[in-house]
Amino acid sequence: MREVGIVGVGHTKFGRWSGSYMDMASTAAVEALQDAGINLAAGEAGIDQLFLASMGAGQVNKISGAASALVDTLNLRPAMAETIENGPASGASAVKIAYMAIASGLADTVLVVGAEQMRILSGWESTDFVSTMLHPEAEYPYGLTLPAAAGMFTRLHMEKYGTSEKDLAIVAVKNHENAMHNPVAHIHLVPDLHAITDDEDANVINPYVAEPLRVYATCPMSDGAAALVLTAMDTERKFAHEPVRIAGVGQATDTHVVAERSDPLDLFAVRESARIAYEMAGMGPEDIDVAELHDAFQILEIAESEEVGFFPRGEGSKAAREGKTRVDGEMPINTSGGLKAKGHPVGATGVSQVVEIVRQLRGEATGRQVKDAKTGLTTNFGGFGNNVVSIILTTTERG
Amino acid sequence: MEMYAYRCDNCGELHHPRHFVCRRCGHTEFTEEPLSGKGKVLTWTKVYNLPEGYMRPSLSFAIVRFEETGLPVSVQIDDEKPYIDEEVNSTVGVIKEAVGKDYYGFIVEPVVV
Repeated sequence: MREVGIVGVGHTKFGRWSGSYMDMASTAAVEALQDAGINLAAGEAGIDQLFLASMGAGQVNKISGAASALVDTLNLRPAMAETIENGPASGASAVKIAYMAIASGLADTVLVVGAEQMRILSGWESTDFVSTMLHPEAEYPYGLTLPAAAGMFTRLHMEKYGTSEKDLAIVAVKNHENAMHNPVAHIHLVPDLHAITDDEDANVINPYVAEPLRVYATCPMSDGAAALVLTAMDTERKFAHEPVRIAGVGQATDTHVVAERSDPLDLFAVRESARIAYEMAGMGPEDIDVAELHDAFQILEIAESEEVGFFPRGEGSKAAREGKTRVDGEMPINTSGGLKAKGHPVGATGVSQVVEIVRQLRGEATGRQVKDAKTGLTTNFGGFGNNVVSIILTTTERG
Repeated sequence: MEMYAYRCDNCGELHHPRHFVCRRCGHTEFTEEPLSGKGKVLTWTKVYNLPEGYMRPSLSFAIVRFEETGLPVSVQIDDEKPYIDEEVNSTVGVIKEAVGKDYYGFIVEPVVV
């Protein structure tokens, strides 16, 4: 198979986007193309394929076939174009499919854009929109939500491993601190650990969303877009950056209904996606210098850090308490601020995670740079763990 | 109103929800069996941000394992203070009121001793 590398990255400021969906997606796309040193003049870009990742372009923004609109507004015609919808894992799925397109020889250079504009909805509507990824008969009609699934998961984790509400808050504060150094993060403030946990007014500042999950144990609703330029590493074409190589890609699915899992605490698809990616890369967890894990809820950063092999089962909370997952710790996680503070425009998240790892491996993560980072892992979590994609990236070895 | 489990006509494996293909033997024909009775709470949550269509401040949910069949299902739980391993009785009621249509499903309540 051909080797595939990333030569361009782009990212809008996550938060609220007041313009159009297409302008948001295009802003990230153009930044990635320019970052790669690609000439935007008609017929000069040399983009063979566009993949647009989005969960809600059709459902929320009423734009079906959104990739056709994006390829046209960017004037990349007649490039091939598809929209990829795989819930919150849409972004990493689009990266995976771009990898497949290049590795197969069907394309040489591919633009991947992840874009989600959810804040045009009311809180009611957006909660409903996100909940549509749950099982259409056994979960969604019950009024179950993603925070509900995470609340039930957290309660079991607390019961079995002694994880505390304070542990979740420690992860949240760490990610908010990281986001202070990430100009594209949604939230630029650091909550006070005492105020959101032990203070007598903690219940007011940090109320329950889905017991035992509080506001500061869940991610915000965000708009935003992120983009990547992927290219075959066996061509003569030169770009503005040395490629960051995609060393491994893994994906796995699990039962759609969480209740059907023999152990509802077992995130099989996370573990399996990482295992496949490690095997393809010829690496293990010990080779990873920096990781972006899908912390839509803080419990997921803890549980995923165990499932991808950074820490033994049940010891993720302890590792966070000991500062091992901080930027200067032994296994830095979510240097971007994670979904918690960088934000979670669902279909864009998997692309955004890869953007952060590319910045880390290029040494461009000012203020949050992991020293000598050579290899990074992303894990993008769809549904409540029913479809997970993990990607391993490395700097290009020079002979 | 009853809720059902789905027994594979070939190997007898019970499913809830319905699957098109049996998870054990690959058969595609099933027979409905009423699913009701006592169960135990495996985990629960109380949710304060409900989706569109719920005119109430909070709602509680649980995963419950049915005693007789061993099947675990997602349910609404009508209990102010649920706890893990709590014994509950299953009822069937309206779980969502939509325009022109009510959705029915499991609503469990504590076993009164």
